[in-house]
Amino acid sequence: MIGRIWAIALNTFREAARIRVLYGILVLVLGSNLLAIFLGQLSLHEAGRVARDVGLAGISLFGSLTAIFLGVFLLYTEVQRRTIHAIVSKPISRWEFVVGKYVGMVLVLTVLVGVFALAMIAMLISQRAGVTAGVVKALVLSWFEVLTVAAIAIFFSSFSTPFLSGIFALAMWVIGRLTPDLEAATRYAAPWIQATTKLALEIVPDVHLFAVSGRTLDGSAVSVNGEFVPWSYVALAGAHGLGWTVGLLALAAWLFHRRDFV
Amino acid sequence: MIDVRELTKTYRTPFARRKVEALRGVTFGVERGHIFGFVGPNGAGKTTTIRTLMGLIRPTSGTARLLGEPLPSRAARFKIGFLPESPYFYDYLTVAELCDLAGRLFGMPAAVRKRRADELIEKVGLTRSRGLSLKKFSKGMLQRAGLAQALMNDPELVVLDEPMSGLDPIGRKEVRDLILELRDAGKTVFFSTHILSDVEAITDRVAIIARGQLQAHGTPAELVSRALQGVDVTVRLATGDAPDAPDAPDALAGLSDGATRVRRVGDELSLTLAADADVDAWLARAHAAGARVVAITPRHETLEDLFVRQVAGADRAARAEAAP
Repeated sequence: MIGRIWAIALNTFREAARIRVLYGILVLVLGSNLLAIFLGQLSLHEAGRVARDVGLAGISLFGSLTAIFLGVFLLYTEVQRRTIHAIVSKPISRWEFVVGKYVGMVLVLTVLVGVFALAMIAMLISQRAGVTAGVVKALVLSWFEVLTVAAIAIFFSSFSTPFLSGIFALAMWVIGRLTPDLEAATRYAAPWIQATTKLALEIVPDVHLFAVSGRTLDGSAVSVNGEFVPWSYVALAGAHGLGWTVGLLALAAWLFHRRDFV
Repeated sequence: MIDVRELTKTYRTPFARRKVEALRGVTFGVERGHIFGFVGPNGAGKTTTIRTLMGLIRPTSGTARLLGEPLPSRAARFKIGFLPESPYFYDYLTVAELCDLAGRLFGMPAAVRKRRADELIEKVGLTRSRGLSLKKFSKGMLQRAGLAQALMNDPELVVLDEPMSGLDPIGRKEVRDLILELRDAGKTVFFSTHILSDVEAITDRVAIIARGQLQAHGTPAELVSRALQGVDVTVRLATGDAPDAPDAPDALAGLSDGATRVRRVGDELSLTLAADADVDAWLARAHAAGARVVAITPRHETLEDLFVRQVAGADRAARAEAAP
């Protein structure tokens, strides 16, 4: 089982590495780091803060968009191009195929987030901003976010077209990111609006847990530029993301199992 | 080896009530060690049947067993090699990498994968192209690469969907030879095609499918009628005696009366006499007109005749069914 999943994962990694859009995104992330340096120069003695905030925002934004892009295309194109026919006719279960595709995406996204992180660290060092434990924790949380978003995208891709899957996955990511804001916005709304919002937010992964800098947790302000979350929080957020990932992949595998490949 | 019973597959369009019956109660069996040809016109249901057997499509009803295992069986797939129709593979891989990927999915150790891939690449004639990515392969080369990956696991049952498609005459002969070689090695081969000469040349049993229904099933000898269908005659006419020449004798002009498939090329006249025609009397008339006999061949039903008859029958039945 591991060997088959690994075979699909390696092939997916190889396939994704040939997608030129990824190299464009890499350039955009490097550009966002240069923007952070530029904005830092405009600020008054806040270059380090700006560099950290813009750098992390760039990783989260471009990493998640990359995850959505890969998630909606890599599974769909296997079916559309019929490359899947020669694969699932071999002794591999469809769930193993879905998990293999996801593991391949994890490999690609890990390399990408790693490159993004190295670029950001280089930028922070150049700005003498310091690479604190908070920055490292924020980077790990961004990585968890990207992997969770990839699972959302692959779930939609298991039954829908890339266009619709992309819209659904993007919507879930945005709503998940804005969950605390949406809760706050509906706090004084009619009870039915509150109930509907609460229900809607329950079925969306809490990706806001991975972007806590600038928020208030348990009554305390949390910032990557000051007091940040403990490692236990990072682990719990990771477990939360893992739970969603396992659930979404299980659903994707079930849906994929029921499909006809004509 | 393969046991298919009352297999049906109906597609429903999502927002319309239209139903498309791709398979309608298909039943057949394939015995161990046989070459089984599955023939039918385009859209007959060949590929749907094969995809159902390979677990790519779920049947609407009916059952199928491969190597004694009910569908979909992972255990059976360990012993099956499959070449899809118009094979699409990852175009960034080389043929060796494609074989390696197939070997990994069968759980083969690295050394065995390498050795087996080398053997098969040589067998299908792609040794000189092994460094090229599949993107640079022609259709025929892709077909060969597909055959190589299908045989990685040394399968007991080989299922080939249109294996001769896209191949030139030499490539087709090589694939036919490979199929015979597989049969000689004790494998069972199930292949679909609409090239009837390939079927007649190598199959032990044949099934004809049209409009989703099996029309005939058996050995080629069982299926085609041995009764005389007619006599093909070719004669060489004396120079200047062409039937269309102004001075052609009446006797020669009457040679083609009652005959079918009359064809004149140069000074040779070919035609088919009816099965009950008096061939001796016709030859006497031809001699009298100065013609010389080149060939006389009894005509029996061919697989092509049977195929055309079965498909036309299926079309007629479908039209009658559709009529209000």
